[in-house]
Amino acid sequence: MQPLTEEAPYSLSAAEKTPRLLAELQALTGHHHAHCALYQRLLRSLPATASSAATLAELPYLSVRLFKQFALQSVPDDAVFKTLYSSGTTGQPSRIVLDKDAAALQSRVLVRIMQHWLGKDRLPMLIIDHPGVVKDRSNFSARGAGIQGLAFMGRNHCYALNEDLSVNIAALSEFCRLYGQGPVLVFGFTFMVWHWLSQLAPGAVQLPQAILLHSGGWKKLQAQAVGNTEFKARLAEVSAIKRVHNFYGMVEQIGAVFVECEHGHLHCPASADVLVRDPQSWQCNAVGQPGVLQLLSTLPRSYPGHSLLTEDRGILLGEDDCPCGRAGKYFQVLGRLALAEARGCSDTVASGPLISASDARSR
Amino acid sequence: MEYLIPANADMATSGGLPALLQQQPVSAFADDSQAFVAALSSRLLTDPACRAMPDLLALGFWFRAARLHSLQQKYQQLPYLLKPLGLVFHNTPANVDSLFMYPALLSLLCGNVNLIRLSSRAGASAAMLLSHISALAVEYPALQNRLQFIRASHQDQTLAALMQKLDGRLLWGSDQAIISQRQLPVAAHCRDLIFNHKFSLALFGASALLDADDSQMATLLELFCRDNLTYAQQACASAKVMIWLGTGEQIAQAQQKFWSKLSHYLATRPQLTDSEHYQALASAQQLVLHSENYQSWTPGPIQRLQIHKLDDVMVQLHPGCGLFLELQLPALSDLALQLSPAHQTLTYWGLNPAELSVLQHQMLRGLDRIVPLGQALQFSEVWDGGDLVLQLCRLQTKPSIQC
Repeated sequence: MQPLTEEAPYSLSAAEKTPRLLAELQALTGHHHAHCALYQRLLRSLPATASSAATLAELPYLSVRLFKQFALQSVPDDAVFKTLYSSGTTGQPSRIVLDKDAAALQSRVLVRIMQHWLGKDRLPMLIIDHPGVVKDRSNFSARGAGIQGLAFMGRNHCYALNEDLSVNIAALSEFCRLYGQGPVLVFGFTFMVWHWLSQLAPGAVQLPQAILLHSGGWKKLQAQAVGNTEFKARLAEVSAIKRVHNFYGMVEQIGAVFVECEHGHLHCPASADVLVRDPQSWQCNAVGQPGVLQLLSTLPRSYPGHSLLTEDRGILLGEDDCPCGRAGKYFQVLGRLALAEARGCSDTVASGPLISASDARSR
Repeated sequence: MEYLIPANADMATSGGLPALLQQQPVSAFADDSQAFVAALSSRLLTDPACRAMPDLLALGFWFRAARLHSLQQKYQQLPYLLKPLGLVFHNTPANVDSLFMYPALLSLLCGNVNLIRLSSRAGASAAMLLSHISALAVEYPALQNRLQFIRASHQDQTLAALMQKLDGRLLWGSDQAIISQRQLPVAAHCRDLIFNHKFSLALFGASALLDADDSQMATLLELFCRDNLTYAQQACASAKVMIWLGTGEQIAQAQQKFWSKLSHYLATRPQLTDSEHYQALASAQQLVLHSENYQSWTPGPIQRLQIHKLDDVMVQLHPGCGLFLELQLPALSDLALQLSPAHQTLTYWGLNPAELSVLQHQMLRGLDRIVPLGQALQFSEVWDGGDLVLQLCRLQTKPSIQC
């Protein structure tokens, strides 16, 4: 049977997907056990059931924070093809390494998922950022990596912003003049798109057939009291863009992206899955009970990131029964877990905040 | 440098220092000092807004009038006279919201003039304390001058000049912060009291735990949670390590009994926030990856790791938040060599008199306090290995009557 990465992304029901996902993830647990000494140490500390999980819930999981604290990789240094960093503003960034195969697989899976939403044709692409963000090709920031990854999906790329994040009026006008009447792809990080919109008057841009993809979390916008509804309304007012897909993902599990459907639900593709855990017990929650998101992906072979406990809160909305018709689990992200407050007189936080307040990393 | 108390302080300077620093000390246990502290205590105990702040209630309770009286009596019986040090500077850390007030109020009772530098990140308890102290300004105007609160950056020039005038310093903070604060030159006679990072332990007798009936277990769990989870295991006196004393078999059974009862207890009385639970889990994984000393991770509502020995990694990295490191100890004598100056409090439960005696007499390094389970967070004027009153005073030899 072919691996899940080769399946159409939203075609498999739970009965078809779950046993295959479990088998592939268990194989990855074994692979990382054999190739990453630190991962092996963690597995050894756990009860034996973790290495022979009978259900997805029994699979061992790593806190995403470990990628800030340790060099976790399952390939030798000389096989590292690309190193990705989260662009956290405080504390250590996460460090993720990809070998050639992992980088190729990640691109292929991303294309397969995005083609589902955008169609097979490469569309003219407007990037809501400045070109400098992708310049250093050896050390991508999460923003750079996100843009680079999605640039595949378009052609005739145009960057809408200048280095100082002001609107590049000349470039934007030219893009609209050339392609504005046809289908185009617009991509940017959520807060960057909002920053772009806030500089433009109603009707300033006319891209009526555009599809906007955006990602990166709502935290910065929540501080300005901007939610999804207001975001979409402002977008339509300024640019006439009506098709909008938010997506969720993180640099620690690159290639696993969860795209928002027409009903506002984030969908798991065939090669990825989500569990929601109650932080008071770390047991898995049922549909409808909010908790901490655990992400599963069959992609990570070069680092032990196939089962990660995120620092994000979320809620499982259902499986195989979204009104949009796509198979698989669908969910909603509820935001970042708050920083654990310092109480009493312990002073161990001197080593720096262990929960990063970063929001800018790709997610 | 910004004055918080006294409000509207005269920032006119003499010799580069605020005029307020020219205040004179008063006698130890002076009546008005005691009256002020007792008034503050009763405000904290009666203000409904303090009810949700267990640290302030404990502070108010500790400094009630009856205690002040017995403290005075205790120190009057010494064969010395207590005299104030003079001008004492307190540098408080960001995350000790009210603990710094114990030595600050003791220093006030000792007659000293106190200047307390609050962190810019000081939290709700500190703000509440300030509002109560300000409210006492009308009734006790002189006391405001002897209990001054400021905010200032570490680079502040006025603060640097002040260091030369001090008779005593209380330094709180991480080991690194303490070391860098001690670089600031002070007068030769200036006395330093250090409150650096500390790490605490709990010691359980396994066989006593196996013998405990339901009612004893219920008490045990309540005391355990009071000591270790009141401040999310972050108080310096809250145990991060549980030491089990007994044979391997006894310990395994005792652990099973204790943790399953505790899980059950916590299910209806959640003590930790979601973020704290995450912190505990992430730190458990971090420690496992850090060294082979950390093994057998048991995830759950409380994170547990088995350890082979006490080490410095846990002292530096353990964040509290519900992560218990467990050490199996066949004999108490194996503990002495593992202890270090970082180890502050050892709470115990289920020990026999012989074991208690070994604890008291054979631990020569580390351990400032050995107290029964349930008393970890009870403040005492003897703290971190010193008598705060005696350290905050000069002991003057009494003139002989014949002279």
